[in-house]
Amino acid sequence: MSTRKPVRIRKLNTKTALQVLREDQIDRNEYDSLTTDAQIATGVESNEEQEIHLQAVLKGAGASTDNEIPVPPPQESDVSYDELYSTPYIEPRNYIRFSDTVEETLGSLYDMTTEDEEYLKTYNAKRASKLSDDDFERIMELFEMTASEQTPYAAVDNTIVPYEVMVQHMAHSPVVKLQTHTKQVYEYWKTRRQDNANKPLHPSLKFETHQEHDDLDPYVCFRRREVRQTRKTRARDVQIADKLKKLRRELEDGRQLVLLSHQREVLKKELLNTERFLFEHRAKLKERKVRLGIKADDEDLLYNTKPQKRKISEVQHPVRGAPHQRLSLPVPRESRAVEQDLVQLSDKQKEQYAEFFRDIESKAQHHRHWNNGHIDLTERPLSPVKEEQHQNFRPAKAVFLPTPPASASESMELDDEPVSTVMAPKRAPSPFVFNGADESESTPTYRRRVGRNGRLWIDRRHCRLASPPSDTETPPQSDQCKYDQDDSEDEQAVYHIDQYSTSAMRFRTTIPAPGHRYPRGHVADANAPAHPVAVSRPALPPVPAPAPPQPSNHAQPQPQPQPT
Amino acid sequence: MSPGILEATVGSDGPRQKNKATPDTLRVGCIAMVEKDGQARRAEILSIKDTKSGRQFYCNFDNFNKRLDEWVPVKRINFEQDVEWPNPDKDKPKDGKNKQGATAQKKNLSKKIQKRPGKREQSVTSEAATPNHPWSEFVDSQPQSKAPSTPRDLESKAGQTPAAAGDEMDLDEDENTPDIKKEDDGFSREAEIEKLRTGGSMTQNPTELSRIRNISKVQFGKYDLFPWYFSPYPESFTQEDAISVCEFCLSYYADLKSFARHRQKCTLQHPPGNEIYRDDYVSFFEIDGRRQRTWCRNLCLLSKMFLDHKTLYYDVDPFLFYVMTQKTEKGQHLVGYFSKEKECADGYNVACILTMPQYQRKGFGRLLIQFSYELSKIEGKLGSPEKPLSDLGLLSYRQYWSENIIDLLVEYNERDERCTIESISTALAMTTQDVEHTLQALKMQVYHKGEHKVVLPEKMIQAREKARSKQKRYIAPERIQWKPPVFTASSRTWGW
Repeated sequence: MSTRKPVRIRKLNTKTALQVLREDQIDRNEYDSLTTDAQIATGVESNEEQEIHLQAVLKGAGASTDNEIPVPPPQESDVSYDELYSTPYIEPRNYIRFSDTVEETLGSLYDMTTEDEEYLKTYNAKRASKLSDDDFERIMELFEMTASEQTPYAAVDNTIVPYEVMVQHMAHSPVVKLQTHTKQVYEYWKTRRQDNANKPLHPSLKFETHQEHDDLDPYVCFRRREVRQTRKTRARDVQIADKLKKLRRELEDGRQLVLLSHQREVLKKELLNTERFLFEHRAKLKERKVRLGIKADDEDLLYNTKPQKRKISEVQHPVRGAPHQRLSLPVPRESRAVEQDLVQLSDKQKEQYAEFFRDIESKAQHHRHWNNGHIDLTERPLSPVKEEQHQNFRPAKAVFLPTPPASASESMELDDEPVSTVMAPKRAPSPFVFNGADESESTPTYRRRVGRNGRLWIDRRHCRLASPPSDTETPPQSDQCKYDQDDSEDEQAVYHIDQYSTSAMRFRTTIPAPGHRYPRGHVADANAPAHPVAVSRPALPPVPAPAPPQPSNHAQPQPQPQPT
Repeated sequence: MSPGILEATVGSDGPRQKNKATPDTLRVGCIAMVEKDGQARRAEILSIKDTKSGRQFYCNFDNFNKRLDEWVPVKRINFEQDVEWPNPDKDKPKDGKNKQGATAQKKNLSKKIQKRPGKREQSVTSEAATPNHPWSEFVDSQPQSKAPSTPRDLESKAGQTPAAAGDEMDLDEDENTPDIKKEDDGFSREAEIEKLRTGGSMTQNPTELSRIRNISKVQFGKYDLFPWYFSPYPESFTQEDAISVCEFCLSYYADLKSFARHRQKCTLQHPPGNEIYRDDYVSFFEIDGRRQRTWCRNLCLLSKMFLDHKTLYYDVDPFLFYVMTQKTEKGQHLVGYFSKEKECADGYNVACILTMPQYQRKGFGRLLIQFSYELSKIEGKLGSPEKPLSDLGLLSYRQYWSENIIDLLVEYNERDERCTIESISTALAMTTQDVEHTLQALKMQVYHKGEHKVVLPEKMIQAREKARSKQKRYIAPERIQWKPPVFTASSRTWGW
């Protein structure tokens, strides 16, 4: 240590990063000289730090010495453990949760001593009705409990609870059934108490008696720990006084509240009684009327509506002032309303329907708004946005314009604008509309647009020509099992088609003339203006030069089948 | 160690009077040479009783823990050597200080006399008169001179050293138990109680009476335990050869019939609280001193027999008890426990800690300590045991600390990283002070080339390897089902 003296050791900060080395990573000699023998605080009391056994162990710290501090060793006891602790323990699966106190888990708190046992033996020997150990303990427990309640200072003033008092206490406990024994046991208890300086029979701990010698008596234990006293100041006194006043006020308020609500309930009861009285009388009146065959208007049955109304309004006013009674009001008011304007079921229903539709409409509006600008181009669009596209196509059924429409020029400029607005008032696309017959699709439609070089295009959309007479009908049914069996090879599938069903007929009308190269025919619109016109299906690139034969073919079917 | 030093230190008190004594003249407070384990040792006589087999003396041996105190028959006392008599000069100041105490003891005495005539009377008079503390003060001031002395030294030389004698008075320890502080040496009773009012769990009772073991044998479960220290069981129990304590509810009985009757009625098979930890080896229960007042009082009385510094001065309300048990087909047996203040101003995470004697030296203490630190980790706090520690407590804690710190440091070393005291402290939920003390105690902290370094001694690493091969048991933190309990201001105010 002396060699290190000149070195000034900087104080170690707990945040300093220290290098961790093994002993073999450092020069041994150096290390030896570096280690200090400084006293280290052990936390053991200074007097005890020097004890031989502790020092021996501390010295050997880290070494393999088996120094141990000797202690008086425990021994196996010769008691009959299994007899004393006879209940087997079954561990619950979950962590135990338990809050019963020791007293709660025990039956009687008095345990019979050897002396008691002897007494009881002689006592029972003399008698026909035996007193069991348990009952004896119960009686003794009662005596002890009563004594500690009635005479807490029995040991000091030597008072003994008289038997009469014991009997009173017995009345409330199961011990009352043992009354034949209690008197004798009481005498025994009394002598035992006397022998024991009138102290409780069970040896008890010494608790504080608030006497001077308490403090140094090592047997006095478990004193109450005092709550730290807050300093007494005038401000604090005022604070406390205020608190008490407030408490008093609140209690008074509470009392008033209870009182008032009691009043309210009494009034309510009166009201109900009156109503009942009225009702009964009215019922009687009605009965009598029926019996007497009076069919005059039933005004008199409602006789009391007006006076009652007045009554209520009278009641109402004072009530406003007293908030407690507000609750009771709705009852009379409602009953009056029902009597006055009887509601018709139909009215109600109408109202509901109206509301229902309003609701739907608002939802639809909302949905429309929400779908604004959204175009569903999927094969089977969920939202019927395509309607909007359709708007570009005028329904062909529309009036055949005798002359080029006046709007033509406009519409040309407008290009893709939904021209149709003029002719067919634009129907707001409604969401999820189920158009049963799908009129729009069965009517041929067209649109005009201007292509390159100012060419005017007329796109036409036919009714669903190509689609075989509905995928929705027979074929799926008949076809369904077609490939389910292997052996069906040589059998021709038979399709049952109702020749006269509208769909079948519609399909037949669409079968083009043989040699038709374009199953989805194109038509050069006759109405087209002087510009070169090309017709195409919107989905396909416009076909610049329509095949000459087609126009004639397809211009014809103007009398479209219009399923109605 | 020469009389010269003694005079210098103790001052006016002067050397103690010495001369030969006889068994009849020997008084309480005398220091005589008494045979212990085949060696003659200085021992202070704390009490004297007459038995059928002759007079017996209660001896506290110099530099031996109080738990090794015993009643010795006359033949073990060497009357050929001088006996040191209690110094009347010293008694005076002490009497003045404890005037009340003295009178109080006399009152106690009168009660006791009824029960044990003859024996206590003497000890009582001595109680008021024994001047022990000044010596121990002396001891404190001279720690180095004493430490190296071997038993032989004591026998021959230190036999006459007052310094050594001082230890007799306060030697106490407890298994694994840290206990409360007492003010330096002159028991400042008032100050101490004042401190207890607001917190803390332990102190040493200053009265002579409490220096003497009062229960001779405790029948507890399958075992007979031999108490180490005084415990304030009902005073009548001191006359019994043995008392019985119920293993589950910890109720105490002097009468065998009563105990047997109690056992027939007692339905408890585990500590009366919530289980917060369970593995295949041990379980932990949390018990609120306020809710389970009787059980916790019983536990304190029981543990006081093995904890010296524990005080039962105040009630158990402000403490939580964490009880470790081991399961058999009979129930959950109490293995050990530690108590913890519900709200500790000093940041202690353990107040008292004890492994029951029949379970000692089996690694349970380490489990208890680990558990206390696991709770601190859950709370997000750094913890430390309440001081003072007992000898056994110090050893257990030192071992736990060093094992864990070395584990950490070896990892740092392998990764070739630097570490800070703080990082160790955070990782282990130990206070930085405890970390530093442990490093210093193991001589691991060195100052080298201008900076602090930590050196892992080879033997420590070897010890660690060896310990690892032993497959010790540890607490599995993930099995703890526990949330730090919260106590409202009102529950604290009205509760205790």
